[in-house]
Amino acid sequence: MRRNLIPAISTLAVVSLLAACGGGAGGPSGGGGKISDDKIVLGVINDQTGIYSELSGPNAVKAVQMAVDDFKAKHGDDAVSKNIEVIVADHQNKPEVANTKAQEMYDRQKADAIFDVPTSSAALAVAGQAAAKKKLYFNITAATTALTGDKCNKYTFHYAYDTYMLANGTGTTVTEAGAKNWYIVYPDYAFGQDMEKSFSTAVEQAGGKVVGKKSSEFPNTSGDFSSQLLQAPAAKPDVLGAMHAGGELVNLVKQYNQFNLKDKGIGLSVGLMFITDIHSLGPDALAGTKFTDAWYWNFDQQNREWADKFKEKTGSRPSFAHAGNYSAAMNYLEAVQAAGTDASDDVVKNLEGKEINDFFLRNGKIRAEDHRVIHDVYLAEVKPKSEVKEDYDYEKIVTTIPADKAFKPVSESTCKMG
Amino acid sequence: MTALVFRKLAAMPRLWRLVAVLGGLLIALALPWLIYPPIAMDIVAWALFAVALDLLLGFTGLLSFGHAAFWGSAAYTAGTIAIETGAPFPVAVLGAAVVAMVLAVPIALLAVRRTGIYFAMVTLAFAQMVYYVANQWRGLTGGENGLQGIPKNLFGLDLSDPFYFYYAGLPIALIGLLIAWRVVHSPFGRVLVAIRENPARSRSLGYPVDRYKVMVFVISAGLSGLAGGLYAVSHGFASLQEVYWTTSGKVVIMTVLGGIGTLWGSMIGAAVIVQVEDYLATSGIHIGPVNITGPGLITGLIFVGVVLLFRRGVWGTVAHLLRRRRHVPDAEPHLSGTTVPAAEQEPAVAPKS
Repeated sequence: MRRNLIPAISTLAVVSLLAACGGGAGGPSGGGGKISDDKIVLGVINDQTGIYSELSGPNAVKAVQMAVDDFKAKHGDDAVSKNIEVIVADHQNKPEVANTKAQEMYDRQKADAIFDVPTSSAALAVAGQAAAKKKLYFNITAATTALTGDKCNKYTFHYAYDTYMLANGTGTTVTEAGAKNWYIVYPDYAFGQDMEKSFSTAVEQAGGKVVGKKSSEFPNTSGDFSSQLLQAPAAKPDVLGAMHAGGELVNLVKQYNQFNLKDKGIGLSVGLMFITDIHSLGPDALAGTKFTDAWYWNFDQQNREWADKFKEKTGSRPSFAHAGNYSAAMNYLEAVQAAGTDASDDVVKNLEGKEINDFFLRNGKIRAEDHRVIHDVYLAEVKPKSEVKEDYDYEKIVTTIPADKAFKPVSESTCKMG
Repeated sequence: MTALVFRKLAAMPRLWRLVAVLGGLLIALALPWLIYPPIAMDIVAWALFAVALDLLLGFTGLLSFGHAAFWGSAAYTAGTIAIETGAPFPVAVLGAAVVAMVLAVPIALLAVRRTGIYFAMVTLAFAQMVYYVANQWRGLTGGENGLQGIPKNLFGLDLSDPFYFYYAGLPIALIGLLIAWRVVHSPFGRVLVAIRENPARSRSLGYPVDRYKVMVFVISAGLSGLAGGLYAVSHGFASLQEVYWTTSGKVVIMTVLGGIGTLWGSMIGAAVIVQVEDYLATSGIHIGPVNITGPGLITGLIFVGVVLLFRRGVWGTVAHLLRRRRHVPDAEPHLSGTTVPAAEQEPAVAPKS
């Protein structure tokens, strides 16, 4: 008799398979009250295990959680909502994963704002979802200027850094300091190409010359940059501009040292560097390298205090991405508090044009025209090991680049806010 | 009581089929109420894709390992049409299917000269070529940024809520499934099965075997294109992942998991894989200190388990049990079969990582 049940069981199994593991409920989406779903949900989408997990990753989630805790402690019973959640998703640096995750966070997990999102392609995908769902997105770790240019939208804000700011900071200052001839190596994808263009423009505007440029395949799975590096001396540059990021940068710098390019009179300038990169290479490998930093933990007492709290939670020192995540989350929550609601349009209205000074945003301002968050940035130089007094004490701040000079001026922006 | 009903049903193949079709339709209509609507749309798109592959793998005995080329190029085409012209999305999706079919013609003409693993390798090689073109042709595809912000136009209707988009997209997928069903149950489909079973005898009977293979390949590519276009519009996004070889692998896994040569099985395989991947990507599984976040490992294990225990796949096994009760010999191929050289290569295909 039992065998007769097979068709029944199999039919039921199929139906339940379809239904059961779905998890989230379906049906059309609904609206909300003052605080939607009676809670504020902050989502972090970033690389949890891959090449960018050190510079933002799990510690960025902790930074956002710190902001939530500090916000609760500060406002106590007056807080606009006591129910504040932090959720996280791993996008594995893939735009299509980021796209799906962002949609899910906004729809299914009721996120009110998404933070971080390294990798420009992934950030552009999340910005698209933010515009479609009319929910907020604070980009911190992606570099593309498109987020505040062609692809800008009402619900997306760009924190910390971008390719223009890096090129403008490093390219201009290093050229003006005397290194006129540049040889640029860059990874052959959107970020690398953007960086190469921005740097070439900045160098030439400062009176320098790009004597050679060479792209490397992306991702460079072999980790071999010898063909790019060995061709450099022939062009007789003063400085080698490396536009790679994360693990690729680490490999490239190692090979730059192996080929003794420094002794051949070729200095090293790096487009984008995080303090976590210096930490994994060791300061000696990079000593003397100049780069633009959006924030440095040991810059002054205020930064140090926050960095100490961060170290208590995570056991390491923060990169600017970590600090940026904290600041963005905090300022978002403050805007919700001020607006009295987490309704996106009201929060955006509160944020636009706001001038902010916190440990991360010095002379900070959220530009209403393109949602670029501007602030002072720093030209930094890597210390030789002999001057390093403690772990992560790797940078010497050469100059502070004031907020209004550091970023692309509004007049040059291609953003049309819809 | 239910057992009795089912025994009677099993004895009436037509009625049983009608019940299955109605049940399938009911599930399809109810799906966005039961699960997260974008995932429901994913299941429908992948189901159509898997059915399209099954036309080749299950009914013609050809393992294509390059179907991502058609799915992906269709995704880009649908995106480009929708963005550039603002055409209603069904037009964009149909245009995408046409482009996939056009792309399939030269690939099919060259690929059908080989069978078995060589056929799979040739299709893989072409798919990788499409991948590199898509990666380099940034002006059209956006490179690794992908095509973003594909609109969901339909004569001024607001389809931004995925729940409503599901019902707008479902008919397109159903038309695709109907075409597949029609192909299988036509004289053309019978010839395909004959080719699968014995190409030499088919040729000696006067059937132009290669031309049949090219035709079914192009039809399969067109259906894959329909699915890929729908998927891209549903996500509002077309990326390099769509043309990457792991996409080809994923659809092969779905088809084999559900049971090749059964159409229904492909749909079940798609539903299972999409659901499992979604579940794993949202929650992850903690086994002791190890946190498995990527879906690759678990999907791989399920695949290995099914191939080892139910060699006919999920639906294939069910159908086989039903048939055995009615003492009808198996009509569809299975993995242990000797008549399907391409399918024999199946376990050698690495699961999506």
